[in-house]
Amino acid sequence: MITKIILDENELPKKWYNIQADFKTPLDPPRHPQTRELVVPADLEPIFPKELIKQEMSQERYIDIPEEVRDILTLWRPSPLFRAHRLEKLLKTPAKIYYKYEGVSPPGSHKPNTAIAQAYYNMKEGIERIATETGAGQWGSSLAFATQLFGMECKVYMVRGSYDQKPYRKMMMQTWGATCVPSPSPDTNSGRAILAKDPDTPGSLGIAISEAVEDAATHDNTNYSLGSVLNHVCLHQTIIGQEAQKQLDMVDDKADIVIASAGGGSNLAGLCFPFVKDKIDGKNPDLEILAVEPAACPSLTRGMYAYDYGDVAGLTPLLKMFTLGHDFIPPSIHAGGLRYHGMAPLVSKLHADKLIDSTSVYQNEVFDAAVMFARAEGIIPAPEAAHAIRVAINKALECKKTGEAKTILFNNSGHGHFDLSSYEGYFAGSLVDYEYPAELIKESLKKLPVLS
Amino acid sequence: MIKIGFIVNPYAGMGGKVGLKGTDGCVKEAILLGAVRGSPAKASRFLSAITRKDIHFFTAGGEMGEEELSSAGFSYTCLYNPPPPLPGGDRFTTAEDTISACREFTKNDCDLIIFCGGDGTARDVFTCTGEDMLILGIPAGVKIYSGVFATTPESAARLLSSWDGISSTYGEIMDVDEEKYRKGELDTRLFGYAKVPSSKVLCQSSKQVSYGDDSRATKEIASFITEIMRDDTLYLLGAGTTTGAVAESLGISHTILGVDAIFQGRVVGKDLNEERILELVKDYDKVKIILSPIGAQGFILGRGNQQISQKVLDKTGTDALIVIATEAKLKGTTCLYIDTGSPEMNERFGDSIQVICGYRMAIRAKLAH
Repeated sequence: MITKIILDENELPKKWYNIQADFKTPLDPPRHPQTRELVVPADLEPIFPKELIKQEMSQERYIDIPEEVRDILTLWRPSPLFRAHRLEKLLKTPAKIYYKYEGVSPPGSHKPNTAIAQAYYNMKEGIERIATETGAGQWGSSLAFATQLFGMECKVYMVRGSYDQKPYRKMMMQTWGATCVPSPSPDTNSGRAILAKDPDTPGSLGIAISEAVEDAATHDNTNYSLGSVLNHVCLHQTIIGQEAQKQLDMVDDKADIVIASAGGGSNLAGLCFPFVKDKIDGKNPDLEILAVEPAACPSLTRGMYAYDYGDVAGLTPLLKMFTLGHDFIPPSIHAGGLRYHGMAPLVSKLHADKLIDSTSVYQNEVFDAAVMFARAEGIIPAPEAAHAIRVAINKALECKKTGEAKTILFNNSGHGHFDLSSYEGYFAGSLVDYEYPAELIKESLKKLPVLS
Repeated sequence: MIKIGFIVNPYAGMGGKVGLKGTDGCVKEAILLGAVRGSPAKASRFLSAITRKDIHFFTAGGEMGEEELSSAGFSYTCLYNPPPPLPGGDRFTTAEDTISACREFTKNDCDLIIFCGGDGTARDVFTCTGEDMLILGIPAGVKIYSGVFATTPESAARLLSSWDGISSTYGEIMDVDEEKYRKGELDTRLFGYAKVPSSKVLCQSSKQVSYGDDSRATKEIASFITEIMRDDTLYLLGAGTTTGAVAESLGISHTILGVDAIFQGRVVGKDLNEERILELVKDYDKVKIILSPIGAQGFILGRGNQQISQKVLDKTGTDALIVIATEAKLKGTTCLYIDTGSPEMNERFGDSIQVICGYRMAIRAKLAH
């Protein structure tokens, strides 16, 4: 009875998978935030390296992973695929449950898969400093880890509420040499404007993105880096799903259901895109792929598919995506990494094309599942990852009812060692089940930019 | 140094333990039935749990607070002494003593009055202070329906210890008909809204926190509700300060203890009773009812706003209800309640309900019937 399915280092994928090559209709292109014209590479050059812009727009199916990037990834990759025998036993389900575990990376999540690649390409083009934002701190710590490997500076705008409450993530960034400031900050025009209007604001990811973009645009030799949403970020994460496919092949199994949590969409993209290819190619046409969102911020489940800004200030290009409106500030759920108003355009298109389904879950039921999982499998998951666990357990329980022995695969995208105060809140019974009042909001989404 | 008025109703809660369902006017009877005092011990629990030192107390003599403060070693000034008993006779402290003591506290510019008692004591304190003075109750009475009480003596102490001296919210003072209550019938009405201290504490120690500022949340709720109001819909706006903020945001007047009707941003009915509501809703195809839970026990329907009756809900449909409340208010309420008078209709609301708690933000709250 195999529990850990491990690949050799030399089996680390050599290419990223670009799902754009398999779209039947092309992705709606990004548009300039002011002119609304199609974005051209030159528009992005002030803040992104050329190679990443190329990847952002590439239609090539596979893109080579540079050897230097692969070399660093071997610090923790290939990541293990686990068969959750103990959870299956606890649930008394005939289903087979597998999970890919990304918590083995130094920062403890899937985020360095793209942080390393992004830092590498910036370094190659002579960039010395990168500005970014972080919500919960997973992305900020991953980019801090990556930039110091290439001798670069890193400035992280951390959502103020998290900055005050998550000292350990902040210290990780400091340990890896990054400068971390609370956002909104007095360091940027957009930060100052928000502070002048509302000095007590707890901040939001959208605000922090505005600050980081402005920082990159106004500093020499500084670029911007985003930890999710964009096409090249999703691309870099596909290493997860490619490994998982090989690992399932090793035990002669095939997924019936693939599940991942979805905030900006990169974790979902990473595990699921290679499996979506199987679905598109007809290799696994009945495969069910599920994005799990918090009920408090259900962009795929309850949002509109429209062009919207990626940030609060409207500095980013307009992206065609499922969105709750760029001015929506999600409530204070513990899965901070899932608090984003929009969704990756690639994931959005797959959802619109009905290749990916979505569902949303409440905070308390997520922690119920996280605790059940930790007691069965030992790993204490991050609240973000626990969204996928919740739905994996629900699916396994459905199998128990129907007697079907389906194969369920989910992405356990990170550990929860820096989230224990959230667990404390759960055990104290103080977690609030926020939800998005979609029916009432329908009328108020008129604030989206209208494109003819 | 903050100045706190501290008053104990030494007989609060005695009636309940011997089945009198209240102590007002029944102290002697309660004692004869064997009731013992509980509120002095609760007052002492409160005092012993206070962690801040920058407090000077004003109080009333003897068993109305002085004894507990003296035992706990706090600095205090006694500003009122109840009249001594007549020789050979009984003399129990009364509502008049509570009101007189509070009057002295306010005259001496105290920052907050903390009282140990029940709904009756809350009503007495509020009679003196009105909305001008902040008050906070330590729960010790038979009936605790008002929203000005902490959940325990210790939580009252924690709130006082972390209070910044400024932050406040509103809590309902409920008037319970004692006679009917003794007959097993609960008849409550809103008596008023008192200012209560609120602690600017973090709502969650989460990755993304928001600050539990009640006034900010109230504004956000009002902003969201006004944003979703449609011109083809009649809105019935219930009692309370949160609903009042909606009216304020629309720039219209509001009956704080009653139900108003609004159409296209204008008031088309003020302080409506059931009959007038029923007449009004006949003329509109679409009706929504905006309510905030009333009372510390979390009643959305059935306490204090009986004009939103079963008949009204029959006309509008139960899905017409839009419930609004700040997170801070919901935090002290483990469960919300709906009592339309019809068990069948109550069931239609299900076991949870959406409560708008901010701008485009809601909480799924447990609901009981």
